[in-house]
Amino acid sequence: MAMKTLTAEQKKALAALRESIGGISDEKRQKQKHLLTTRKALMKFLEQQPATVPQIAEALQISADEALWHVTGMRKYGKIAESGEDGDYPLYALAALEEKAHSGSQEVKP
Amino acid sequence: MNTQINSDYVPDVLVIGGGIAGLQSALDLADQDLRVLVVERNSSIGGRMIGLSKVFPTLDCASCITTPKMSAAAHHPNIQILTNTEVQAMETRNGIHSVRLLQKPTYVNFDKCIGCRLCEYACDTEYPDPFEEGLGSVRAIAVPFTNAIPQKAVLDAEHCATCGVCARVCPTDAIEFDQQPRTLTIHTDSVIVASGFNLNAVTVKPQYNAARSSNIIPPTMMERLLAPHGPYGRVLRPSDGKIPSSVAFVQCAGSRDESIGVPYCSRVCCMYAIKQAMLLSGALPLADITIYYMDIRAFGKGYEQFFQNARAMGINFVRGKVARVDPIEDGDLRLHVETTDDAENPLQEHRHDLVVLAQGMIPAWNPAATTPVACASDGFVATPSLTDPTATSAPGIFVAGAAAGPKDIVDTIAEAGAAAMQVSRYLHEKRAAVLVGQAVHG
Repeated sequence: MAMKTLTAEQKKALAALRESIGGISDEKRQKQKHLLTTRKALMKFLEQQPATVPQIAEALQISADEALWHVTGMRKYGKIAESGEDGDYPLYALAALEEKAHSGSQEVKP
Repeated sequence: MNTQINSDYVPDVLVIGGGIAGLQSALDLADQDLRVLVVERNSSIGGRMIGLSKVFPTLDCASCITTPKMSAAAHHPNIQILTNTEVQAMETRNGIHSVRLLQKPTYVNFDKCIGCRLCEYACDTEYPDPFEEGLGSVRAIAVPFTNAIPQKAVLDAEHCATCGVCARVCPTDAIEFDQQPRTLTIHTDSVIVASGFNLNAVTVKPQYNAARSSNIIPPTMMERLLAPHGPYGRVLRPSDGKIPSSVAFVQCAGSRDESIGVPYCSRVCCMYAIKQAMLLSGALPLADITIYYMDIRAFGKGYEQFFQNARAMGINFVRGKVARVDPIEDGDLRLHVETTDDAENPLQEHRHDLVVLAQGMIPAWNPAATTPVACASDGFVATPSLTDPTATSAPGIFVAGAAAGPKDIVDTIAEAGAAAMQVSRYLHEKRAAVLVGQAVHG
């Protein structure tokens, strides 16, 4: 994806927006950090094998409803795909690995 | 469609609300060559109906009905639409209604945005998606949902991390971080209030313990679970992603109850519960589905047959009242029910793994506070005339759909058409009177 550099006006407007929403609080910063680290850990965990939501929750030490929320978001944006079922729970796998398994391709898309 | 109109635009009719009622009224009026401005407070038109899975009693796809109407309204030369806009106040002088609007910033220039979603894909901040009833996630800058109209990205300042990546990837330089709220006053001859409904909170009755379990859900959440493009892509329970095996519907959980201030019947709950139960039995063929009801109000055309079909399909109907719902182990729920079906054993307990509470319909907007429109004691817009059910207490201001009281989609669309005809007649008579006046007085 082509990334442009922000112009001086855009930087100024962005700073004004940041100020208008009361700045980025520590809580918001922590929340964002937690989101990114959890997603990264989830991707890493699913590299090993497909897993159910309770299994993901246990591995990542988060609640099951939070694990489901992350899986849902990552599924929406194409990072994760459903991959069969284990008892009463669907299994989730990395979308790239799923695609490879179904297409027989040797290349794993980034 | 033009989302950047100004105060010098003078529509014949201003429609408050871009749901199915507002859109139907707008289309009927625009087809009569009247200029219509639709004001919608959300980022997309479509209202409640665009979030539904299917409609009763035909089981037609809800978005297949709503999307063409949204698109028709957006492309109609006589219809202008303002999204992210709320009515702040309205006053009437000499038959002209002056409506003060507040347009909130979207931080995206809609004339430049091409809906490519590159900003959305680049953004790495996510929050619970309001369109998915909080079940899914949406990014801080995003097109609100797949078939949203307008197909334009909107930035949510509350959740934005202000990293600026959206502006760096936007191919048309549409991101405008310095957008400000805008107020404008529109002068118009007539108004239709089509502001729709909300549901009261799932926690309104503490004995149902919805605050203690994410598996006690409102019916709108079940609609999203059943929708083909729903958050999970299938029906799972929100606490842990389990495929439910026993689902309960608790009827009259937020209406017909003086203790919570909703003494009236919400009219649609029996039918949507039956519809959701039928759809669930298709999605989860092995699941037990039970509807706990006081009485089934299947009042519309084909509704009784729909109810009988559900019984024949094996949906379990238990007549009685659920007194309490208790969260128990494994995320399951225990329902304490008093039933009239079993005289020897009226007090029963049943275990389920997902419970849908039929919440009550309440008005989404109170116009009485800031406009000449009066509301009835139930909070919905008052309609004083039995023979003119779309007329409000204020001349030239009409009402359509659930803004006037709980009603289903069929009745809403019929009423929206009626309101459009009443507006048309009102404008015709008003303008004819002006012409007569001019002729008489030279």
